[in-house]
Amino acid sequence: MTDIASSPACTASRRAFLTRRNREKWMAWLRPVISISVPLLIWELASRLGWINSFLFPPPSQILTALWVQAGPQGRPPYAIFYHVFASMMRIVIGVGLALVVGTVVGMLIALTAWGRAIFRPIISAIMPVPTLAWTPVLLLVFGIDNRTTITVVLIATSFEIIYNVVAGLDMLSKRVFWVARSMGASHTQTFFKVIVPGVLPYLITGLRIGIGFAWRALIAAEMLAASSYGLGFMIFDAAEYFNIDIIFGGIMLIAILGLLLENVVLGRLEAATIKRWGVQVER
Amino acid sequence: MSAEPAFKPRLAAIPDPGEPKIVAEGINKTFINRENGEEVVAIENLDLTIRDQEFVAIIGPSGCGKSTFLYMLAGFEDISAGTLSMDGHPVTGPGPDRGIVFQEFILFPWRTVLRNITLGLEMQKVPRAEAEAAARKWIGLTGLTGFEDAYPATLSGGMKQRVAIARALAYNPEVVLLDEPFGALDVQTKFYMIRDLQTLWQEAHKTIVMVTHSVSEAVIMADRVVVFSARPARIIYDERIDIARPRDALDPKVIDRQREVTEVLSAEVDKQMRREAGRNPLGN
Repeated sequence: MTDIASSPACTASRRAFLTRRNREKWMAWLRPVISISVPLLIWELASRLGWINSFLFPPPSQILTALWVQAGPQGRPPYAIFYHVFASMMRIVIGVGLALVVGTVVGMLIALTAWGRAIFRPIISAIMPVPTLAWTPVLLLVFGIDNRTTITVVLIATSFEIIYNVVAGLDMLSKRVFWVARSMGASHTQTFFKVIVPGVLPYLITGLRIGIGFAWRALIAAEMLAASSYGLGFMIFDAAEYFNIDIIFGGIMLIAILGLLLENVVLGRLEAATIKRWGVQVER
Repeated sequence: MSAEPAFKPRLAAIPDPGEPKIVAEGINKTFINRENGEEVVAIENLDLTIRDQEFVAIIGPSGCGKSTFLYMLAGFEDISAGTLSMDGHPVTGPGPDRGIVFQEFILFPWRTVLRNITLGLEMQKVPRAEAEAAARKWIGLTGLTGFEDAYPATLSGGMKQRVAIARALAYNPEVVLLDEPFGALDVQTKFYMIRDLQTLWQEAHKTIVMVTHSVSEAVIMADRVVVFSARPARIIYDERIDIARPRDALDPKVIDRQREVTEVLSAEVDKQMRREAGRNPLGN
């Protein structure tokens, strides 16, 4: 390899190859930036030149300014954006954390025990098609306008995907995997921590990814109905009351950005450390 | 094939049979066919004694119950009647005194090659350094050096099977059970694996039971070849292969033996086919 690569003819083509790879890398970055900024630029122009109603569709620069103001001491209340983002994120983190526990336990009971299957399978099949938001009025009556309502919405939205994927993951573990573990003399605890948990992990992460997507959408909607003072959903709903259209669009942008970060950056990292590193295919 | 083997040809004599290691007496295995509720007799009144450090290959028509017999030795399957003992103690379940290698490898994708091989020792709470030293020995002997930190998904079938073999040997079982170990490999890979691993089996000093459907595999590798009849399984051929190792596939003595076993086996397959054709109402 090395003696071929160091020959002059090869070095030139190698350098060309490297610059091409470098360019590819840049393009991979640039492409999404262009595809998002071009429509925003057109929007800016259209709004400023009066092609579209600038009250209903304020130019993006105005939206960003409004967000900037609301993120600072002049906001109402001061630093409002941070409170809204923090409130929504806290609900997501707590709700998803609870769903992770509930979903994993229920999923394992369904996949590994006959009684768990008998009890939970029919219940889950019946409840799964119900949109999470349909529960919100019930939760409002039970908990009132409270964090518990929004957190429970997140919990419900995430649990089903996690249960479904944990069951799928355990079903995919071949009987022979357990045979190998047992012929190594594995105890039940060892089989659980060294075989079942890592075996299910890729599926759990997939369930988490899809579940968080659902949870994020459900949370924003639930905050419109059931948040008293903070949260991105509440912020949008509140802004609508006062015709602060720039804040509405600002909220939408923040939801998009945070959703992207949650689904791609946080979970992307988790997947890179597990599924991608192991080269495991998760079938769904 | 005329190329010199990589290792020094050591013409090792076939060891004299040792003390009985595994004794099967009057083994019966019946299944209930789930579809029609009929009782299927897989194995009927089977007697077989496998001696200490003997390499026995079991061969037979497909579906004859040879794998079932191997799973009974491993403790994965119960016996319906008869006695099955190892060192005078009845086999009641899987244990680390018997290592298993499956056709489908069954590696743990979340563990590197090294960690797959140390797992059996981890299960037995062997200190990490000690487990790694043992694993590295088998990594060397199975030709996996340089692949210690690779994940199974990045390996070819042949390499995966080397990992499975090293893993089964690493926790030092007394008996190694091979369930069609080369069945999932292409002809080339299989040829090199069988050649490369010839010395491994001798140096391991284990009692080895291999189930296979390849006559050449059986004759080249084993000290003794046992042929099972079509279902219900009985022993219709049981001979020692007294040919010095390493064995060459083109050695006339090897070819003679292969022909002998093939005749017994194909007569049995013919009989099975005729029986099945007779059962076929179309009678073709």
